[in-house]
Amino acid sequence: MAETSVIGAGTVVSGHVRGQGSLEILGRVDGDVSVTGNVVIGSTGRVRGNISAAELRISGHVQGDLRGTVAVLLESGARVVGDISGPRVGIAPGALARGHVQTDGEPAAAPVRSPMPAPRAAAPAPAKFEAKPAPAAPPKFEPRPPAATPAKFEARPPAPTPAKFEAKPTPAAPAKFEAKPPPAAPPKFEPRPPPVPAKFEAKAPLPPPPKLAPSKPEPRNPEPPRAAVAPPQAEFTPVRPLKPEPRRPPPPVVPVISKGTKAKKKKSHD
Amino acid sequence: MAGTVIGEGLTIEGDISGDEEIVIHGNLRGRLTTTDAVTVGGTAVVGADITGASLSVAGQVTGDVTASERVDIQAGGKLVGDIKAARFTIADGASFKGNVDMEI
Repeated sequence: MAETSVIGAGTVVSGHVRGQGSLEILGRVDGDVSVTGNVVIGSTGRVRGNISAAELRISGHVQGDLRGTVAVLLESGARVVGDISGPRVGIAPGALARGHVQTDGEPAAAPVRSPMPAPRAAAPAPAKFEAKPAPAAPPKFEPRPPAATPAKFEARPPAPTPAKFEAKPTPAAPAKFEAKPPPAAPPKFEPRPPPVPAKFEAKAPLPPPPKLAPSKPEPRNPEPPRAAVAPPQAEFTPVRPLKPEPRRPPPPVVPVISKGTKAKKKKSHD
Repeated sequence: MAGTVIGEGLTIEGDISGDEEIVIHGNLRGRLTTTDAVTVGGTAVVGADITGASLSVAGQVTGDVTASERVDIQAGGKLVGDIKAARFTIADGASFKGNVDMEI
């Protein structure tokens, strides 16, 4: 019945080609090609459009999707830019293909029948394949995000922050205060101050207070032994942390500067 | 062998142009332009303006025809449209409706 159609090398078809029978394209086709038979695109063939046929044998250039209900074969010299799908897909050495390639479905029972059966048969096949990847993908995504994200978020913010604040300010400050000032009075007062600075430290910069804190107790400690009452007052003012900074430097400097007086005294003695 | 053959059962919607012989046994809607001969087979149904060196019609053609050499309507052939050709023959049993211009 349907004979083989030929689009010669010197012929250009601008439009759709569809129907029954086989088709050989040696010329150019700008449009979709859909036939029930086989399609052969010779080395001089150029097609810009989608091609659907029972068996596709391509040696020319195609820019469009290829759908073969039986097979799609790219011969050497073929150049295809587009998706390729069919039960059998062959790409020979020397052929160039760029696009998605999928081997799927079952060979059409009656490839040379009415044009509609082929598309219909083809439609269900992709649906099956789409359904498969879909279920597989979700499970992978679901377990990962819930498990990982919450765990990370919960662990990171709460754990590190409290640990830092608790470990650095409280242990360091109280330990120094408690160990150095033996007097019973200071310890009672000390517990109060540490918590306050800790809160302030948490909100404000952490580094400055701890550094300042150690410096305070050391100079003060030597003093407490002289007068137990005096040091506690100094420590009560832990509110100082904000203001104390200027106070601390000057005191040492001022008394130390008195050294110059020593020299004067020596000179005067001499 | 003919350069281009549109087999029976094949339908082309669009333009066909080229420089080689074209034989049509199927359906064509659009326009057909070539520098060589055009043959419309007995099973063909063509709804297109045809331009070529010569035209032989055994099937149905609807459209204007311009041929640089000749136009022949075979017996059983049917052509509706204007014809512009140097030579024009209508076989016995053919049907034709249109104007003819043989001044080329």
